[in-house]
Amino acid sequence: MTALLEVRDLHTQFNTLDGVVRAVDGVSFDLARGETLGIVGESGCGKSVTALSILRLIPAETGQIASGSIRFDGRELTGLDEEAMKRLRGHHISMIFQEPMTSLNPVLTVGTQIAENVVRHLGVPWRAGRERAFEMLSLVRIADARRRLDEYPHQLSGGMRQRVMIAMALSCDPQVLIADEPTTALDVTIQAQILDLMLELKEKTGTAIVLITHDLGVVAETTERVVVMYAGRKVEEAPVEALFEHPLHPYTVGLMRAIPRLDVEADIAGKRPRLQEIPGLVPILTRPIIGCAFAARCPLATERCRTEVPPFVDAGGGHTVACWEVTR
Amino acid sequence: MSDAALLEVRDLVKHFPILGGLLQRQVGQVKAVDGVSFAIRRGETLGLVGESGCGKSTIGKTVLKLIEPTAGRILLGGEDVTELPPGAMWAHRRRIQTIFQDPYSSMNPRLSAGTIVGEPLENFGLTRGRETDDRVASLFTRVGLRPDSMRKFAHEFSGGQRQRLGIAKALSVNPDLIVADEPVSALDVSVQAQVLNLLIDLQEEYGLAYLFISHDLAVMRHISHRIAVMYLGRIVELAAKRTLFETPKHPYTEALLSAATAPDPKRRRQRKRIVQGDVPSPAKPPPGCHFHTRCPYAVAECKVTAPPLREVAPGHHVACLLR
Repeated sequence: MTALLEVRDLHTQFNTLDGVVRAVDGVSFDLARGETLGIVGESGCGKSVTALSILRLIPAETGQIASGSIRFDGRELTGLDEEAMKRLRGHHISMIFQEPMTSLNPVLTVGTQIAENVVRHLGVPWRAGRERAFEMLSLVRIADARRRLDEYPHQLSGGMRQRVMIAMALSCDPQVLIADEPTTALDVTIQAQILDLMLELKEKTGTAIVLITHDLGVVAETTERVVVMYAGRKVEEAPVEALFEHPLHPYTVGLMRAIPRLDVEADIAGKRPRLQEIPGLVPILTRPIIGCAFAARCPLATERCRTEVPPFVDAGGGHTVACWEVTR
Repeated sequence: MSDAALLEVRDLVKHFPILGGLLQRQVGQVKAVDGVSFAIRRGETLGLVGESGCGKSTIGKTVLKLIEPTAGRILLGGEDVTELPPGAMWAHRRRIQTIFQDPYSSMNPRLSAGTIVGEPLENFGLTRGRETDDRVASLFTRVGLRPDSMRKFAHEFSGGQRQRLGIAKALSVNPDLIVADEPVSALDVSVQAQVLNLLIDLQEEYGLAYLFISHDLAVMRHISHRIAVMYLGRIVELAAKRTLFETPKHPYTEALLSAATAPDPKRRRQRKRIVQGDVPSPAKPPPGCHFHTRCPYAVAECKVTAPPLREVAPGHHVACLLR
């Protein structure tokens, strides 16, 4: 069976005064139907720009998809006109963002906003759209959903707003839901509720999810497969258990050792242990990166790493990595 | 509380008025901090953990005397600083410094990094001219910045480097206590590790005490010696780090721990989340125990009686009627 979403050698660039920023620099991955894929990396690694590229939301005045292919359900998206994209967004592919307040309309009630989306995409009468909005708010377990339909976003708590965003995103039964840091702005107990809700709804509706986050804990607990990005490139991809049990790329290994952990003993002989640091800084994306993007910070780097881009090598079981040294 | 306490906070209360109506009269109040007591020893890190609106940052600001408490006492080295006149407070200011979540917003964009770090030294009259430059250069080196970057401006530094600048500035006047409010929350994982390591090194080197405020339990567990868990303006549990994580007593602490994610895919289906629902508004906290509306164990008594913080085992304090 072919993948629902196929991204191939995607290059997305922004034009700035300092030069062309290669925000996404040759990324490829597949998303199967009903799958949960995590894209993880630190600020500026290109994970959000990858998501915006899929939905063709890169503003034309600042940047563009320079090359590559994005196929959704067998259909190429990179050349589609804006009208066709509008029919796709919020219907077949929808997205939720970190801060729901920036994507909800402050002067419309939440019921109206959800109903609008349903009416536009499914062509049903307004009354049916409102009814669907009620169903969706109940589905995301907003208490007293009938009354909440007539409330404005500012009347809701942060957790409830994110529930409304999820209700709206799922209102037209999309095949793909892209969630960009959906719980980062939320408190710990609310984050747990929202993650549980997303997974439960996925089981019910069969929607595939692309979860974009910097948080390895969130990735471990919600996804089935993970893409690790660094400086605009994919450096490793693996089923979630394999990635956390045997991370291969030195960057992935470094990330896992750098995080303080709740599930292991914090002190050794009464002393707080040192976290492992990744020395140095991420490369500047306006300059061409020769060789491996991580070479300058990598403990294993050799001369070849600094001159030749490492190819993706299959380590078995769907675990692939781009590193000269670990696959030697 | 023993005499050895560097900072002692007793029954601290901070209410903020809610203004409303045409005449902006006071129509209510937010009890941001509602009777909080704790102490910090020299060289110790006390972590304050809780969700948004629990009052943890308000406590930090009150300890720094950036805002005045509504009631309660703050003792620094045994001396009450709550009602000191501004002149007398001056000498104490040097002893308590702060590091913010976003150091950039606290730095003058027109001043060089060296001037920013050296400013407190000159303000307190500790050094002058060349002496200041030398001291700043050594501070830069100590926090892992190149001394030749003293002439750069704040915007020329990365996020992690700016946090190092903030630390250098706080450190410049040899404080006893640093209030660190979410100092690593805005940083990427790899940089966060660098800053946490630096904070621990500096503590051991200079015998600094930290009041470390964060919502991140894993960071807390790494850096703290003791931890106070807050919920809607009150401390619900206070214990040594290990005790708190291994034998939490308060249902809210249990809930927080159960809700935190761990970087281990095998754990994902084993856990059950304990709490549902949102944190109530701090302007209208529930009566009795603030947590009773979300607590799975709550009984009728919890709705009327606010439980006091009791010592249930040496050094382990819990505010719960049932534990």
